[in-house]
Amino acid sequence: MDLSLNSDQIAILDALDSLSKPYAAVSLHETGFVLTDAGLDHALVEGGFLDVAFDPDLGIGTAAIIVERLARLPQATEAAFSAIVRPLLNDGVGTRLCIVEEGKTGRPLRFLAEGATVVVVGDRVTSFTASADHVRPEPEALFGYPVATLLSVPTERQAHDVSPEEFRTRWRIAFAAEAAGLLAAALESVCTYTAERHQFGRPLASFQGMRHRLAEAQVRTNGVYWLAMKAAATLDPSDAAMAAFHAQESARVVVYDFHQFLGGMGMTLEHPLHLWTYRLKLLTGELGGRGANALAAAEALWG
Amino acid sequence: MDFTWTEEEKAFRQRLKDFLAQTLPDDWERFSQHGPASPALTEYAETFCGQLAAEDLLTPHWPKEIGGQGLDPWHQTILAEEMWIAGEPRGGQYMNVNWIGPTLIKYGTKAQQERYLPPIAEGRALWCQGFSEPGSGSDLASLRTRAVLEGDHYRVNGQKIWTSYAGLADTMFLLCRTSEERKGGISILLVPMDTPGITVRQIPSLIGEGDIHEVFFDDMLVPATALFGGEGQAWEIIAYSLVNERLGIPRYSLARAALDRAVSVLKAQGGWTSEAVKIEAAHAASLCEAARTASYAIVTQRAQGLQVGPESSSARFATVMAERRVAEFVVENLPEALVDAHPYLKMHHQRGIVAGIAAGAAEIQLNIIGNDVLKLPREPR
Repeated sequence: MDLSLNSDQIAILDALDSLSKPYAAVSLHETGFVLTDAGLDHALVEGGFLDVAFDPDLGIGTAAIIVERLARLPQATEAAFSAIVRPLLNDGVGTRLCIVEEGKTGRPLRFLAEGATVVVVGDRVTSFTASADHVRPEPEALFGYPVATLLSVPTERQAHDVSPEEFRTRWRIAFAAEAAGLLAAALESVCTYTAERHQFGRPLASFQGMRHRLAEAQVRTNGVYWLAMKAAATLDPSDAAMAAFHAQESARVVVYDFHQFLGGMGMTLEHPLHLWTYRLKLLTGELGGRGANALAAAEALWG
Repeated sequence: MDFTWTEEEKAFRQRLKDFLAQTLPDDWERFSQHGPASPALTEYAETFCGQLAAEDLLTPHWPKEIGGQGLDPWHQTILAEEMWIAGEPRGGQYMNVNWIGPTLIKYGTKAQQERYLPPIAEGRALWCQGFSEPGSGSDLASLRTRAVLEGDHYRVNGQKIWTSYAGLADTMFLLCRTSEERKGGISILLVPMDTPGITVRQIPSLIGEGDIHEVFFDDMLVPATALFGGEGQAWEIIAYSLVNERLGIPRYSLARAALDRAVSVLKAQGGWTSEAVKIEAAHAASLCEAARTASYAIVTQRAQGLQVGPESSSARFATVMAERRVAEFVVENLPEALVDAHPYLKMHHQRGIVAGIAAGAAEIQLNIIGNDVLKLPREPR
């Protein structure tokens, strides 16, 4: 048992931080609901950051560390599926990846666009490449990801030799790791604002009514991080389902609080908090949401 | 990151499980409801700790030169987990091996170490901590029990409250005021409980027989050699001690074990069919495992010889969340456990309330997180 980063992981995170530094520093004033950057997406692919799990010495554990760190950026970038789930498909699937549950294909899908690989998970795992006819972009959506609606699913799809349960486990790890980074960045953003904003002659964050709720959010964020990292290391179905549940439950608990703490500013697009919290909102419904993931955990733990 | 136990660590855990299975009496689960501070368990703990010591399992994480095995903090964690899951058959002696002993080793004089360490290592010492006072709970630095040096003795007057184990302990780790400076005026005296001038009164409690007390000091004379560390050094010493104490009880482990037990009881009763029940159980399990992994992150720091940071308060608060959720799950789904149908669950429930109160209230942990993890501006005082 050793929960510290190993030297490879430290080196990879250093490289990732160097790469992402210019993107982290962009002006966040009035960004709109979604911020993306094709340059960032390209640089991540070129740098091989989404391929680390193909190296058995690095594995999904290192991929999860990368996903968590990238989620802290204000830009939404598709790393979770590519870095954590894609190695399961193992047959040349590219990095523009969307995943959808069979029977729930009407839900808004993040990063769905023409040319993306759409993986459909039901009794088996299949995929197809989205054409323009499959996709309706949803620029008015209230989410922090670029989302689109899948208009149809072709009957002819590529079958993948992976069990749906193993795939869902990996999916849970992916969004839990992403949620951990989103929670951390949102918390930091709120702490910065409430430490600077003065009311009644004091910083808002010096009032215990706010401090304790922020501290509880830190406890949750820390817990989501460690459960996600553990699940990425063990690939155990119960670990993954607990990480997924705890991520969704924690997002539910903190997202409204965070905007509340910003007061009037929490309702604006001038402050960038939504770039993280409105991504969390989409993740809270992933794979059936809290109830379904808790049931999956109960099933894996106790049968 | 490595989330696996080594083969040697697994063998150590199995050795502990085997020892517990062989050593604990058949009616242990019912017996353990007496509570760690009860006369019955205190008496049993002397026998049990002696047996642990004979197997080199009482203080394995202590340095070899003072009777330990020099094992690392992971072994200490495994030991604490297995003992706590079993209902803590070491009784109040867990405190000796977790923090009293290590604190004596770090700060004690040679004479103090020679006097107090061997009884701990042999499993026949029971300590209590004289910290809280009627006017000084979370605000510990406001304590008023006063020790005045008169020649070669301190004269002590004052009162402690909510003191665990005081009724049967042989020594107190006493915080008292030796000058007016708020934190810098507090000193520690190691006081035999049979010193004239001490009066102990038990307080009826929700958490088990004999657990909490009031202790009064009326012109108690204590030799100056009982001073532990320097005058005014108490704050530094208890900061060191509390890090050990806060991590000393892996409450998530018993909470998770109680949850597993509750599920197995529900299964046997045919009550494990409702999706609502399963969701609540998984919710509780996720909080237990969040607390466990957050705690392991702190143990990692210790194992690397790093100073444990304020994140330990985060792990501690996570444990409080887990304890409560499991206790709530049992009350909602197996209320008969709190009568007497399931002694193990009753024992967990009885002790669970302590999690957010002892060794620094949960709100103090949140203050520490706000100040030192999130670096928020401090609350004006």
